[in-house]
Amino acid sequence: MGLAQHFPALIIAILLGIAFLSPILYRWARKTSAPALITALSLSLVMGIVLLIQVHQGGTFYYHMGGWPPPFGVEFKVDFLRVYMLLVVLAVSLWIMVYALKDLEHELKTEMLGWYYSLYALLVGSMAGIALTNDLFNLFVLMEICAISACAIISIKEDRACLEASFKYLILSAMGTGCFLLGVAMLYMVTGQFNYDLVNEALPAAVEQYPNNMFAASSLFIVAFGTKAALFPLHVWLPDAHASAPSPSSAMLSGVVIKIYAFALFIMFYQLFPRPLLDSIPLNEIVLWLSTAGIMFGSIFAMVQVDLKKMLAYSSIGQIGYVFLGIGLDDTIALTGGFYHLLVHALMKSMLFMVAGVIIYSTGIRQIKQLAGVGQVLPLTMIAFTVGAASMIGIPGTGGLISKWYLALGALEVGRPFFVVIILASSLLNAVYYMPIIVNAFMHQETFEHEAKPVPRQMLVTLVIGVLAVIFFGVAPGLTLTLLENAIALFF
Amino acid sequence: MDEATAIAVILFVILFPIVMTPVIMSAGGRSDKLRNALTLGTSTVTFILTISLYPVVMNGEIIQLTLFEILPDLEISLRLDILSFSLAAIASFIWLLCTIYSLDYMAEEHGGSRYYPVLVFTLGSCLGIFLAGDFFTLFVFFELMSLISYILVVHEETEQALKAGYKYLVMTIIGGLALFLGIIITFELGGTVSLGVGTIIDEVTFLSFLAFICFIIGFGMKAGMFPLHVWLPDAHPVAPSPASALLSGVMLKTGAYGLFRVIFHAFSVEVMQANNWDIVLGVLAVITIMLGSAVALTQNDIKRRLAYSSVGQMGYVLLGLSILNENAITGAMFHIFCHAIMKSCLFLAAGAIIWKTGKRLISDMGGVGREMPYTLGCFSVAALAMIGIPPLNGFLSKWTLGLGALDANITVYAIVLLISSLLNALYYLPIIVPAFFEIIGEDKGANAHAHGHGHALNFNVQDVAPRMLAPMVILAISTLLFGLSPINVQFELSQITSWFFLEGGIF
Repeated sequence: MGLAQHFPALIIAILLGIAFLSPILYRWARKTSAPALITALSLSLVMGIVLLIQVHQGGTFYYHMGGWPPPFGVEFKVDFLRVYMLLVVLAVSLWIMVYALKDLEHELKTEMLGWYYSLYALLVGSMAGIALTNDLFNLFVLMEICAISACAIISIKEDRACLEASFKYLILSAMGTGCFLLGVAMLYMVTGQFNYDLVNEALPAAVEQYPNNMFAASSLFIVAFGTKAALFPLHVWLPDAHASAPSPSSAMLSGVVIKIYAFALFIMFYQLFPRPLLDSIPLNEIVLWLSTAGIMFGSIFAMVQVDLKKMLAYSSIGQIGYVFLGIGLDDTIALTGGFYHLLVHALMKSMLFMVAGVIIYSTGIRQIKQLAGVGQVLPLTMIAFTVGAASMIGIPGTGGLISKWYLALGALEVGRPFFVVIILASSLLNAVYYMPIIVNAFMHQETFEHEAKPVPRQMLVTLVIGVLAVIFFGVAPGLTLTLLENAIALFF
Repeated sequence: MDEATAIAVILFVILFPIVMTPVIMSAGGRSDKLRNALTLGTSTVTFILTISLYPVVMNGEIIQLTLFEILPDLEISLRLDILSFSLAAIASFIWLLCTIYSLDYMAEEHGGSRYYPVLVFTLGSCLGIFLAGDFFTLFVFFELMSLISYILVVHEETEQALKAGYKYLVMTIIGGLALFLGIIITFELGGTVSLGVGTIIDEVTFLSFLAFICFIIGFGMKAGMFPLHVWLPDAHPVAPSPASALLSGVMLKTGAYGLFRVIFHAFSVEVMQANNWDIVLGVLAVITIMLGSAVALTQNDIKRRLAYSSVGQMGYVLLGLSILNENAITGAMFHIFCHAIMKSCLFLAAGAIIWKTGKRLISDMGGVGREMPYTLGCFSVAALAMIGIPPLNGFLSKWTLGLGALDANITVYAIVLLISSLLNALYYLPIIVPAFFEIIGEDKGANAHAHGHGHALNFNVQDVAPRMLAPMVILAISTLLFGLSPINVQFELSQITSWFFLEGGIF
């Protein structure tokens, strides 16, 4: 194996390394900083693919940081689901970065670009770490890095709305991390371990002695990850933060960052807590109803928005609900659907935010009302919007249908058709707020009166890639679903 | 024709129009002539190839073919049987005629470069619905057709059209989601949604009832069934007339087709009758018939009246499906044929009147028949067929449906048929009679001089061009031909369909 066995650590090292280099490169060799970041992201993506091949050939394996086995050292675990998460994070962030290179020039002050690259690499690196780590304390550290860099890529725009939103995000996010730390402390108190597997082994014995510790820890975890992933009713920070941020940041935050916490909650429930203990507390039921409320309210709030990016942000609250719905239903098929939706939503929501970015770049419009007729000047962009919206609604041929199919099938499998109705009702709501935009964009009678700057080809190409990806995952979901089914089977 | 060729033909008729869509779109940018020729060529080729499947179907072969699996046990597949063929044939026939009609009609309208590609694309997706081999494939094509035909509905881009289009869009999505729920429950209960396995659900539980209701909502919405018909009277009239003819004449039938498949494939006649689901359908059908006809009476806009009439007429098909005996199914199936022919003829004629004179209101149409005798002649024939005057085809379908109702000992249904025929007469005759016999304008003055004696009804013929007239004439002749002719292909197909479903075989 040679070098390849160090890939789990190398991915993170490369990304954190480039985070340190970016500002320096930007200061002294400006032209190389962007290509360096792209190279680092591509390189880590390639390594991620190699990891997938390794897992496929040799099954789950562990990586000990510095050669120290647990409980002394930090351990990384590489299994199907983690590699899947890793690949989603790396691929989507590479894709967004390609778009961002053009968009940021327009949105940020020039001297800020180097810092943005640095923060971006830090964010991606920490998320890759969250995906792979098998250690509670390490997870805490990575969550902090992730939270701070996420706040920073919002506030970097330095206007009033951004600062306000990122401050709100920072406070709530810190509260979330605080809850997590408290939960970890509860568990550490009774088990003396940080490693997931060791905690898992020690818990059944410890719980007999201290029954309340695990209950407290589990509820703290729901609050912690719920806040970070914008699970209803802890979503209050999200609309402001995602709407005011620069478009690539919005795409990144809505598309990827909230997902990684949903994944982390899944790991807590299904890997950290022993199954019999998990069944003794109605945790899944809580998540299930919160996600249902999120799905409905997210969509309802989205309907009344006048700002395009704010609407997309509220829509994210509804959509992250689907991922949690999969966790809440506690069924392999529903989980497959939830995690498939995680990927599909990462693609389509990022794409929609990019579309919003292109519209702002070209015409400066943010209000939905003013978008009437925009299809005349930005046809390709609005086609991308149409495909993204179609996938949100779950039109056949797009990825959204497949994830809804699996979620609905899972809900029926556990005998709860009510949640199928919820899924469909929210699809209808999605249609109600996405359709008028599309219709107005293309079917407007008067000519479009705002000026429209030409859009750089690089931005359009990323949109086209997004369209193709959304359609690809709607038409040929087979491989990904097989991967996910194998991945989730390991947790049952 | 062997099976391999038949499969190739099936694939071709679905994919050819879809593939031609971008070609026609790009041709539209260069020359209108080329675009029109391509559109005409596409629908002609599709029609001829669809018809060429006739011997295969009449041999009693059922072709069921899986193209690929999209998810485990969920596939994209094709199926050709007697029902698929019948609907595909009538759809491509009407499509061809409407395309010919469009050539002149759309020449002076805007947005032809958008209209023709959409027309062709919906043809492909419509044939996809009829030739789908499982409910999922059917659903995919159903959504494609419904969403794309939105562009036809709002073609005029007036405020009224956009409003109607929005209503259409919302209802379509509700219907699509209901279908999705129905299909997913069917899949969960039966493990498959293929049309090739016979009855998928034979146990009756809450879930299977839910699935049934969802299918009724999804397909009933498309078929304009009460209380989901609300979009139809708005959406059909605002479209350009040839598109209205297609929407009312063919696309409504996809809903009825879906219900055929649901009743005979997802469930079975026994399940339907054992749980009184047929009565649910029957009651809805009666309300649909009565409501459609009654509201049509009150409409003054000719296209709106026709659209409401469509609601009532689709009720007949639903009624036949709820009675579920040999005559009733034959009647329902034959009425699908009849209504496709009659209603598209009526819409094309109404379109010709509007195109030529600009008159949309029935109260203004007095004397129009003397200017456009051929158009109004076709209109009259089709309207009489609607009323059910022998020997036109509408009579035959009502007769068969009535027989079915009496066979099943439900006299009420037969009475409903009679009352609705009366209503049909009440709203169609007031269009025809004044159009030929009312004296207006200059005529009136001239006749006053003649002391009211011997009204000279002056014919001042300014009818539409032959390319618009021909489709109407063909359709009008068809109503006569398929009502009178001793070798009535459509009626035979309907009878065979009925045997096929009720007795499980063609012969």
